[in-house]
Amino acid sequence: MEHYLVAMGVTAGIYAIMALGMNVIWGMAGLINLGLVGFFAVGAYASGLLTLKLGWPIVAGVAAGAVAASLVGVAVALITVRLRGDYLAIVTLGFAETMRIVMSNELWIANGTDGLSGIPGPFRQALGPHGFNLLFLGIVVAATALLFFLFQRLDNSPFGRVLRGIREDEQVVQVAGKNVVMFKVKAFAVGTAALGMAGALYGHFTSYIAPDLFAPLLTLYIKLSLLAGGLGNNIGAVVGAVLVVFFLESTRFIVPFIPEISAVQGAALREILIAVALLLILRTRARGLIPERLAQVRIPPSVPASLSLKP
Amino acid sequence: MKRLSRRTVLKSAAAATAALAYPFQVQAQAEPLRVGILTPLTGAGGNDGPRMLKAMQAVFDEVNKSGAFGRKIEITVEDDQTNPEAAVRAARKLIEVNKVSVIMGTWASAVTAAVAPVCWESKTFIMTVSGADPITLLPHQGFLVRTQPNSRLQGTAHGEFVASLGAKRLGIIGIQAPFAIPTKEYLEAVMKAKGGAVVSHVIYEKDKSTYRSEIDQVMREKPDFLYLNGYAPDTVVVLRDLYRANINLGKFCQSYAVPQATLDTIPPEVSEGVMTGQPSADVEGSAYKSACDRLGLKEIDGYVAQATDWASLAVLTVAKAGAATGVALKDTVRKVSQGGGTKVYTAVEGLKALAAGKEINYEGASGPCDFNEIGDISGCRFRYMKVAKGKLEFLKLV
Repeated sequence: MEHYLVAMGVTAGIYAIMALGMNVIWGMAGLINLGLVGFFAVGAYASGLLTLKLGWPIVAGVAAGAVAASLVGVAVALITVRLRGDYLAIVTLGFAETMRIVMSNELWIANGTDGLSGIPGPFRQALGPHGFNLLFLGIVVAATALLFFLFQRLDNSPFGRVLRGIREDEQVVQVAGKNVVMFKVKAFAVGTAALGMAGALYGHFTSYIAPDLFAPLLTLYIKLSLLAGGLGNNIGAVVGAVLVVFFLESTRFIVPFIPEISAVQGAALREILIAVALLLILRTRARGLIPERLAQVRIPPSVPASLSLKP
Repeated sequence: MKRLSRRTVLKSAAAATAALAYPFQVQAQAEPLRVGILTPLTGAGGNDGPRMLKAMQAVFDEVNKSGAFGRKIEITVEDDQTNPEAAVRAARKLIEVNKVSVIMGTWASAVTAAVAPVCWESKTFIMTVSGADPITLLPHQGFLVRTQPNSRLQGTAHGEFVASLGAKRLGIIGIQAPFAIPTKEYLEAVMKAKGGAVVSHVIYEKDKSTYRSEIDQVMREKPDFLYLNGYAPDTVVVLRDLYRANINLGKFCQSYAVPQATLDTIPPEVSEGVMTGQPSADVEGSAYKSACDRLGLKEIDGYVAQATDWASLAVLTVAKAGAATGVALKDTVRKVSQGGGTKVYTAVEGLKALAAGKEINYEGASGPCDFNEIGDISGCRFRYMKVAKGKLEFLKLV
């Protein structure tokens, strides 16, 4: 059981990294990016290919995965710069699907649908499966903590404030003299770097990646994580990701106890439960379990004498 | 100390009595066979997983009912969601929490390739239907076998069958999957040897609601026969579009692409004349027939047949090895699946033969189930069928 919990801890950590990255783009800047899994794929493939084919060290591979995803993120941000809301969502979704289809059909890049197998993991052989999982849990927790710290700083900085401004009203920010396009591109660059890093870590953890992995299912889980935890705040992102993995896994143990349903119905029920959970969250706690805390602007009861206009 | 020894005495006395009375009761105390069924119940494979699940459960039920196994069989079912990420999580749960010694039922090649490392690292045996050639080339140390013939066996056999029907200009239309390119290459080789050719090859994206433009593309080279290389959900769409376009060519596809359950949902004129192929056992063997009877069906497709064989092989291997671990399965599976022993066609029959002290060679519903050193089946016959009035009819065995 404890080995299973460790492995799920790693999964939760990787989900949390993705949720943190997604939070910068969607939570802070309000840009609905449904192409999450596409950037995850870029990171995973970049690191997988570099470590497998060119023998790069894993740390360099993960860094390169983050950088590659970030560069692609900048490109996507520039392409979609005039799109907002649903339009941006659909284009980014299209980007992720394009990535998946390109990787399926361009066999020369990474074996197409056969996928890349045998991606190295740090000390995988030496530690054995259980030791390796524990080590990786440590790595993932450290990475999550580091990103959390960095993104927390980002959130509280003037940069974070401008992003929130863009989310609330782009035009006002523009009027205030900020280069909105530049900020959006930067938000994408930072957020997608985290997504790419998560993808790279995932590849090194499981040792295998294939285009089928990058189906929209994962995007929806991360979206659910953010909505559950609380959009726009980093604690919510991490808590939400852990909750989603806990929820996905715990339903495995609950469903078999429901009498009179077959395994097939049980599987369908698990998917229904996820949909119901999403609906319940949106209906009852639309801002998530840990809502974003915004600085309260106090409006003074009366205008101080020093500021009052003199006739 | 006193209490302990009294218990031990009582236990051994009871065990001795039981052993004398019923030889199998001792084995009933043995470690159960813990089976993890990891198969797609939702997602793209959701069409095939439930059928395979039923087939496996039917075999285990039959074994339990017969009482010939002497071990409890504990089955845990998990949905692989036809997604490698979800499947790996499910596999870890099966291995670490349910302590299964064998995982059977993965369908998509990407899912199998993702789950396989988790299995071999924790010494768990895995049996699969995934046909992609690279799967058995993974460093699985023997922990993996598959009952699906690889692309070479299938492509060559199907090519010969299609050529025997007089096809000269073969058009291939199918999904992008690990088997797509290899199958095309083997078909090409066979067609060329028979004086024909593969004239067009179109790969389409799954989950589309129409394949009309892909069909036009494949028809441009005027093929005289079509090879549909897809799964059930997309093959149905292709068949519908072919019917609408009034294209009356001979059509061939894998048996899993048009199982009876799918045929029942489409008008008979759409599926009329489609030919299917699947790996199969000897003519004289009764495995296929018993698998059909067990499920109450007239014909079964290749996946159901293979699922039947995994369950039977797991039971027989554990009975032969006398241990229900992944390592025992890995080391012993070939001692019941092949060799010069008595040919047996069902798990129960095999258990009885083993109990009688005989060596056995299991001949399954999907073929002889003889595995080579990397876990591929080393050869099999092919069973061909034709759809007439919405029903599968037996054509021939090659």
